[in-house]
Amino acid sequence: MIDLFRSLFAPPRHLILLLAALWIGLTLAEKRVERHNLTKDALNNLVYYGILGYILGGRILFVLGNLPAFSDNPLNIFSLNIDLFDPVGALAIAVIVGFAYGQRQKLFLWSTLDALTPFFGILAIGLSLAHLAAGTAFGSPTDVPWGMEMWNATRHPTQVYALIVGILIFAFVWFRNPGTFPGSEFLWFTSLTAGAHLFLEAFRGDSTLVFGGLRLSQIVAWLVLAAALFAFDRIRASKGQIPAAEGSSD
Amino acid sequence: MQQTPRRILYSILLLAGAAWILFSADRTGTSTSGQIPAPQKGFLAPDFELKTPAGDSIKLSDLREQAVLLNLWATWCPPCRAEMQTIEEVYNEYKEQGFTVLAVNMTYQDNPLEIMPFVESQGLSYPILLDETGEMAKAYQLKSLPSSYFIDRDGMINEVVIGGPMAEALLRTRIENILK
Repeated sequence: MIDLFRSLFAPPRHLILLLAALWIGLTLAEKRVERHNLTKDALNNLVYYGILGYILGGRILFVLGNLPAFSDNPLNIFSLNIDLFDPVGALAIAVIVGFAYGQRQKLFLWSTLDALTPFFGILAIGLSLAHLAAGTAFGSPTDVPWGMEMWNATRHPTQVYALIVGILIFAFVWFRNPGTFPGSEFLWFTSLTAGAHLFLEAFRGDSTLVFGGLRLSQIVAWLVLAAALFAFDRIRASKGQIPAAEGSSD
Repeated sequence: MQQTPRRILYSILLLAGAAWILFSADRTGTSTSGQIPAPQKGFLAPDFELKTPAGDSIKLSDLREQAVLLNLWATWCPPCRAEMQTIEEVYNEYKEQGFTVLAVNMTYQDNPLEIMPFVESQGLSYPILLDETGEMAKAYQLKSLPSSYFIDRDGMINEVVIGGPMAEALLRTRIENILK
């Protein structure tokens, strides 16, 4: 079944999975947007500008970083090749654009992040499906019974691990009682995702290694987890005791 | 939860995370790709030996020390045809620096009579190879045409580009990377 799935969504068709995740995530986020004192229009515009910033920012930063490659043929700036892209820079630009839009529209940061959490959750699921289809983010060789044949070895099915964990985290965030303070949904999602990534990265076969063998991605996940827990602590400390009547386990 | 127990719990979580990072470190570097030939970024490019239309044999592993663009194509594939002229341009520009192109025609699913007329009409000077049995396509787990593999001087796949046609700027950035 996995082979059929991989064949059906082999690159570049794996991008369909990401587009589907964007659409489903935004639809689900819209359903709960009013709970966070946001309008559907504001949410849609925020995502729209974020995606626009991601696409344009990724291409512009790639061009700026490789200017000599475009000197002979500047029209390549508008090429349809999706590989002419800086994904890390794109993400940074998307965050900046989203933040600027939020400031301009006077959106409250934590409530907006809560409203976007279902979107992020579905995107994480879509990303693991896209990785599975493309054979990226693959596992290290193993002899566990549930190992998966990939790239000429039996490997940890890390994409499947990430998919299962992504579904569980989304279900937890979606079905739990509403948070008692703005930011709780987003912080739960962030800390659980960072914690899961920190754990699962150990089974990856494509980690970037630093400082004599430490996995860079785990270090980043640990820092994100620390930041999320710190934010949890600060917000709770500033709010004082949580009223029991609100019935949350936060 | 009260503030102090909560902070203790957070600290334990972070300490456990830090311990897991140290425990799962890959000090030998053996868990990460590279060791097994596979058609994926970070792996050794699977070796093959194929014939040119003139009957000469070319083996990929004989081209170590050279940066190689391995381009899988067929005459019936419009994006393959569209990018070959651009590949010819960058081949002529970079070949003195140790760059070469191996354009492997998927002969087992192409019309052999159309290959050389197309190559000649385009004035292609880089080596054209014929995969007559599909063995090479199988080793590279071919799913889409064109498929391009940028292989560095050590024989490692530096980048894979599925689909096309590739823009000149894309070719230049990827070639500069494998020439380093």
